[in-house]
Amino acid sequence: MPTRGTLPLQGELLQGTLDMLILQTLVLGPAHGHTIAHVIEHRSDEVLQVEHGSLYPALHRLENRGWIASFWGTSENNRKARYYRLTPAGRRQLADQTSRWEKLSQAVARVLKPVTE
Amino acid sequence: MRWSRFFHRSHWDRERSRELEAHLQIEADENVAKGMSPEEARYAARRKLGNPSLVREEIYHMNSIGSFETLAQDLRYAVRRLRRSPGFALVCVLTLALGIGANTAIFTLVDAVMLRSLPVANPAQLYRLGDNNNCCMMTGTQNDGSFVLYSYPLYQDLRDHTAEFSELAAFQPFLSDLSVRRNGTPGPAEPFNGELVSGNYFAMLGVTAFAGRELTPADDRPGAPPAAVMSYHTWQTHFGADPSVIGSTVTINTMAYTVAGVAPPGFYGETLRSDPTEFWLPLGTEPALNRQDSRLRNPELEWLYLIGRLKPGVAAARAQSHLTIELQQWLWSSGYAQATTEQRNDKALVEEYRQEIARQHIRLTPAGGGVDSMQTKYAASLRLLMTAAGLVLLIACANIANLLLARGTASQLQIAIRLALGGPRRRLMRQMLTESVVLALAGGAVGVYVAYAGTRTILLLAFRGAHYVPISPDPSLQALGFAFLLSLATGIVFGVAPAWIHSRANPGEVLHGAGRSTGDRHSMARNSLVVLQVGLSLVLLAAAGLLTESLRKLQDQQFGFETSGRLMVKVDPALAGYTAARRVGLYQELQQRLGQIPGVLSASLSGYSPMEHQNWNQDVYIEGRRPANDSGQYQNSSLDRVGAHYFETIGTRLLRGRSIGDQTASALHEAVINRTFAMKFFPHEDPIGQHFGIGGPSHSGDYEIVGIVEDAKYTSADEPANPTAFLPLMTPLEAAGIHDIELHVAGKPENFEPEVRRAMAGIDPNLTLLDMVSFGEQVALNFNQERLIARLTELFGLLALVLACVGVYGVTAYSVARRTNEIGIRMALGAGRRTVLGLVLRGALVQVGLGLAIGIPVAVAGGRLLASELYGVKGHEPVIFALAAVLLATCALAAGFLPARRASALDPIAALRQE
Repeated sequence: MPTRGTLPLQGELLQGTLDMLILQTLVLGPAHGHTIAHVIEHRSDEVLQVEHGSLYPALHRLENRGWIASFWGTSENNRKARYYRLTPAGRRQLADQTSRWEKLSQAVARVLKPVTE
Repeated sequence: MRWSRFFHRSHWDRERSRELEAHLQIEADENVAKGMSPEEARYAARRKLGNPSLVREEIYHMNSIGSFETLAQDLRYAVRRLRRSPGFALVCVLTLALGIGANTAIFTLVDAVMLRSLPVANPAQLYRLGDNNNCCMMTGTQNDGSFVLYSYPLYQDLRDHTAEFSELAAFQPFLSDLSVRRNGTPGPAEPFNGELVSGNYFAMLGVTAFAGRELTPADDRPGAPPAAVMSYHTWQTHFGADPSVIGSTVTINTMAYTVAGVAPPGFYGETLRSDPTEFWLPLGTEPALNRQDSRLRNPELEWLYLIGRLKPGVAAARAQSHLTIELQQWLWSSGYAQATTEQRNDKALVEEYRQEIARQHIRLTPAGGGVDSMQTKYAASLRLLMTAAGLVLLIACANIANLLLARGTASQLQIAIRLALGGPRRRLMRQMLTESVVLALAGGAVGVYVAYAGTRTILLLAFRGAHYVPISPDPSLQALGFAFLLSLATGIVFGVAPAWIHSRANPGEVLHGAGRSTGDRHSMARNSLVVLQVGLSLVLLAAAGLLTESLRKLQDQQFGFETSGRLMVKVDPALAGYTAARRVGLYQELQQRLGQIPGVLSASLSGYSPMEHQNWNQDVYIEGRRPANDSGQYQNSSLDRVGAHYFETIGTRLLRGRSIGDQTASALHEAVINRTFAMKFFPHEDPIGQHFGIGGPSHSGDYEIVGIVEDAKYTSADEPANPTAFLPLMTPLEAAGIHDIELHVAGKPENFEPEVRRAMAGIDPNLTLLDMVSFGEQVALNFNQERLIARLTELFGLLALVLACVGVYGVTAYSVARRTNEIGIRMALGAGRRTVLGLVLRGALVQVGLGLAIGIPVAVAGGRLLASELYGVKGHEPVIFALAAVLLATCALAAGFLPARRASALDPIAALRQE
C-alpha cells in the first residue's frame, strides 16, 4: 500500500518522474488521460514515451493522494472523457518535486562533467 | 488509500472501465484521422493501451487491503472449485476427518491425563514430598533413601517445622472400601470408597466446598465430632443432589459421621484415577474407624503421602534442603529414643546408623498435576498411540496429496492457460494451497465429531469396569486448538507438493501437447507417495499384529485357575463391625448359605483371590532350617488364608496330597503350598509332612504341609506366580479377615447376582456387598491398557490398509486412464489381454514391492521399540511380519487389479478413438 507524502526521488525515479510530469501538464489546465500522454510526449520531443497502461494507475494514485481531482467532461471531438485538474495540494507537491528534481539533476550533471585538474 | 474507496471498489472499477473505454475511443478517433480504417484504428489503440483488465486490476489493488483481499478471493475460489467436485471433496474430508479425529481423540486423552493441572487454586505452588509412587505401607528407612511414605508423627513434625510451606497436608495413597448408610433411610449399607486426609487438606489445595463446608484442622483434633466431605459426583448420583444430605448423619463402617459438605464439581482429589475419592474423612477419625487395625496409632508405620503449598517466592530447592535436614534430625532422635543402652554404646552400630540416616532425603516434585500415578502408567501407551495416530494421518495426507496431483494434472491445461496469460505463479500456488487448507479445515471440523465419539469409546475401553472416570470426552479448548493447528499443518503438508509441482508447469509444453498422453511428469511423485503409504501401512499392521498377539497370549495363558463359571464376591466383614470372635460363625454361615443357592456347585472364602493384585508377603520359617544367609535373614513367600474347598472352587489343580480340610481342630494346622513354593524351599526333599510357620523362628512348627497345588497367578499376568503358601482361615486364637467369597456355579456367573444379594442380606443386612465380578471379567480387567492399545492399533492398521489400497487403486486407475490410447495401440498391434493386465499390474507390483522393502526394516525397528510392551511375542516375530506383508500385498494388488482388468477389457477401437 503506498503511503502518503513525498516519495524519495532516488528509489522510484521513473514512477516519481511520471507523477511530476503529469502534475506539470495539469498546470496549464484540466485535461483527460489521452491529452496528458500526448502533451508529455510532444513537449519532450517524443523522447519520453508514456506507456498508456501505466498512465491510468498513476492518475489514480495521484488522485488518491489528493494532488489531482477528476470530473467527467466532453472532449474536443465530443467524446465523454474523464478530466483531471490540479488541486492546491498538487500545486505545492509539484513545486516541491520540481525543486528536488532540479537539485538532483544538477548534482548528476556535476558528477558527469569531465574532471578538470 | 482511503477506506471509503475500499468499500466502493466496484464503483471505482466501473469508473475506470468507462475512462479506459473513452481513452480507446479518443485514440481510435485520432488513428482514423491519420487515415486508418475504423477496425485498424481500434486495434492499434488497444495495442497501445495494453490489457485494460490488467490496468483495472492494478487500480483495483490500490484500493484493496493487500493480502486480506486476495485471501478472501482465494477462499471463495477454493470453495467454488471444491463444490464443483463434491465426490473428491467428500472423500478428502472424510479421510481427513478420520485422521485428524483419531489424533484429536488421543490428544484429548493426553491433555486430560498428562498435561492438565489439578482443578485447584495456583497448582504451580504445589509440591509433593517424594519422587516415586511406592505404596502402601513401610517401616524404617526407605529403599533408596528417597522418602515418599511418611508416618503420622513424622508428618506432624514436618508440618510444624517447615516454614517454607503455607500448608503441608497428608493423605493416604490408596482408597479404602467404605460401607455407608444414610441414617433414617431404609435399605442396606452401600459400598463407597474413601480417603483419609489431614484437616488442612482442602486448605492446602485451596478448594472450597460447593455446599456446606470443607474439612478443617478442627475436624482432625482428637475428640472432634466425626465429619466427612463427599464428592460432587457422589452427591449427584447417589444422593440425588439432595441438599438435606448436608448436615445429616451417615454411618460409615458402623461409625456415625456428619456430612459437612460437598466438594466442588470437577474436583476429584489429588490423584487422577478411575472411580476417584467419594468421601474424604479426617485422619483424626482413623483410629476409631479402623479400631485394632489402626495405622495412625502405629507411630512407626509409614503410609501417608504429603503435598505442600510453597509460600509465594520461596524456592523449592530451599524447602527441599530444609526438609531433608528436618527428616534426618527426626530419624536420628526417634531412633535414638528407641535404642537400648547397649545399642547406644555400640560405636560401630551408631556409626552405621548415622551413615544410613545421612543417605535419607526428601525430593520435592511439582504436584500441580497431582500424584502422577496414572501419568506414569499411561505415558508409554499414550506415546505409542500418538505415534500410530500420527502415522495414520501421514498416510491420509499422502492419499490426499495423490488425489490433488491427479486433479491438478486434469486441470493442467487450465493452469497452463492462466500462466500463459500472465497469472503469477506465486498466486497460483497460493490458490492451490488455500484449497488444500480449506479441505483440511473442513476435515478437521468433522474430525472434532469423530474425536468426540472416539474419546468416549477410548474411555470405555481404557477404564472398563470403572463406574466413573473423571475425564470428559468433550473436546477441551486445548483439544480444539490442537485440532485446528493440526488441520492447518495437514493442509499445508499435503498441499504444498502438488501446488509446487503444478505451478511449475511449463505452459508452452502443456499447451503444445494439450490433452495428449505424452509422459506424465508427476507420475514419479504420485508413485513415491503410494510407496510411502504402503511402507507406513506395513509398520502399523505389523505393530497391530504384535500387540494383538501379545494380548491374546496374555488372555489365553494358563492362569492356574478356571476363569469360566466362577464368581467373586467382595466383602469386608470388618466394615460391618465383625470382630475376630464373631467371624467364625459368620464364615460358616456364609459358606453354607451361599453353597445352598441353586446352581452353586461350591463356595469358599479367602483373604484375597486370584488376579486381584493383592499380596501378603512375609518371612517364612521352615522347621529345622537355619537362616538362608549369614546376616540372619530368612526367605519370604506370599501367603493367603483360604477356607474349605477353596482350590476346587476356583479350579486350581491339586498336584499332590490333599486340600485343607473343614475347619476342624486338626485343620487349623494344615497348609497347602504351590509348586513354586515347593521348588524354592524344598528343592531336594518331599515337602509333604514338613512344617513351617510365620511370625518368627519359634513358630516354625505351626503348619504342616498336606498338599501341593499348581501355580496360579495372583498379582501379575505377565510374571510367573509367586511362591505361595495357603493357610487355613481359622487360627488357634481367632478367624482371619476375609475380602473375597468365591463361588463355582453352573451357568453364567452374572446371573447369580440377585440370589447372592438375597442370601447375603439374609445373613446380615449390614454386610455390604462391595463388588461382584466373574473370574473372567476380573482377569479381563487386568488387560484394559493392553486391550486399548491393541484395539486402537488394529483400527489404525485397518485404516492404513484401506488408505494404502485406495492409494494403489487411484494411481493404477489414473495411469490406465492416461494410457488408454497407448493400450489401444498395443492391443491393435496384437497385445493380448494378459499382456495388458501384466503391463498395468506391473506398476502396482513395483510400488507395493518398494513399499514393503522400505516398510519391513522400519517395522522391525519399530518392533524392537515395542518389545517392552509385549508378552510372549518377540518384537521381530517373523510370522507376524510375514502375515502383515502378505495381507498388505494381497489387498493392494487386488486394488490394483480392478483398473488393470478394466484396461484389459478395453475395446481397442474405442480406445484409439478416445482423445
